[in-house]
Amino acid sequence: MRVFTTLSRRYFIRRILLGLAALGLPLLRPGTPHAALNFWRSSEYVGKTRDGRYKDFYIQYYKSFKRIDGDAWRLNVTGACENPQVLTLETLKAFPRKKQVSRLKCVECWSAKAEWEGFAMADLDALVRPRPEAVGLLFHCADSYIEYLPLEDLRHARTLWVHRMNGEPLSDEHGFPLRMIVPFKYGYKNPKAIVAVEYLSQADRGTWNRIGPYSVDGTILPGYDHPLDRGKQRRRISGGEIFD
Amino acid sequence: MLLSFFIYLYPANAQEEVEIPSGPFVMGEGEEVLLDHYTIDRFEVTHLEFKTVFPSHVYSRGQERHPVSQITWEEAQAYCGALGKRLPRAAEWEKAARGADGREFPWGETRNRNKPHPSYSGMVKRVVGYNKKDISPYGVRDMASSVWEWTADEAEGKKVARGGVWNLHLDYEYSKTTDQIEVDPSQRFIFVGFRCVSSRP
Repeated sequence: MRVFTTLSRRYFIRRILLGLAALGLPLLRPGTPHAALNFWRSSEYVGKTRDGRYKDFYIQYYKSFKRIDGDAWRLNVTGACENPQVLTLETLKAFPRKKQVSRLKCVECWSAKAEWEGFAMADLDALVRPRPEAVGLLFHCADSYIEYLPLEDLRHARTLWVHRMNGEPLSDEHGFPLRMIVPFKYGYKNPKAIVAVEYLSQADRGTWNRIGPYSVDGTILPGYDHPLDRGKQRRRISGGEIFD
Repeated sequence: MLLSFFIYLYPANAQEEVEIPSGPFVMGEGEEVLLDHYTIDRFEVTHLEFKTVFPSHVYSRGQERHPVSQITWEEAQAYCGALGKRLPRAAEWEKAARGADGREFPWGETRNRNKPHPSYSGMVKRVVGYNKKDISPYGVRDMASSVWEWTADEAEGKKVARGGVWNLHLDYEYSKTTDQIEVDPSQRFIFVGFRCVSSRP
């Protein structure tokens, strides 16, 4: 009887572990094909999709979330800075505008290009005045995603705080009302639907790095690109930003 | 404390140099190229070595013998110059990696299937010489993995880097001895380091 009980416990523990592993597998293998339908269309929620117009620029979110009301939205800027702020979208839109065409490369082996418009890190720095010990920003996003970027990367000439894409305000899917474009880093280092940022005096990690096998650094490495605008035809890349 | 003692004992710039004899070798897909005698560093330049020339260089504790990276092409060239050396030409790098017989990988013709870091996406650095299989016919280490390396050559308005990294996302691992990338020389990348050569007799 004791043997039977032990076996049963082992059996159930094994089944539970297998079940948990199966649940976790899609998270650890984000390249796995998923349903083509956009479940979020016509709903008040937004989440990951490759449907319709997004077949040319896939949408990845960590969790679905309620669409953001731009009028009510505020960017909370806190942490190691002299002048913490609660900023409206209108304030951010009034910063000097900067445009660039750049390609976003996802670690899931696809990339897509767009024209992005927004402002430079220098404008936020000038307003909030980071303290000397600040080394980076921790981003808090509407989909519960968290990401860290060092100030050195945020102050790079190609890094942009973005509120417009291809001449229009950002769509909810692409990160309305505010997202980062860091074209020399994989997509998971380009947080979107940002709701708060925190100046940190010590480097931190982000969600993908905590739950999946993705590096903290996230620099695009030499290897291959599969651009959606070229039929996902594989091509060699040298690492860093892909300029074409 | 103990670690600091051993680091103190380890001569920071005691880079072993490997003799590459003069003579022809097969470059790229089959072109025969003749090179004079030169020496090349057996290992990529480490953080500890780099700090001897650039004292302000900072790195994390425990990474003393990891290959230095995040440095510009000019800094790499300046380091070699300070030691009376220079960055290798791409041909010199390739001959040191594949010998005279035109092999695809430093160790031979077959891709190394023993994945060092499965299920991980991103740079992984180890101490130089960690990979016991990545050895060229002349005994030069880490030429198919570890980090890419600056060379003196230019292509497409950029500098040529040769070599490869340990591990990429799912689809690529260990470079061939003929692989190259082109990198903006003013940029600092976690995946680009270097080693030096010398033409001294």
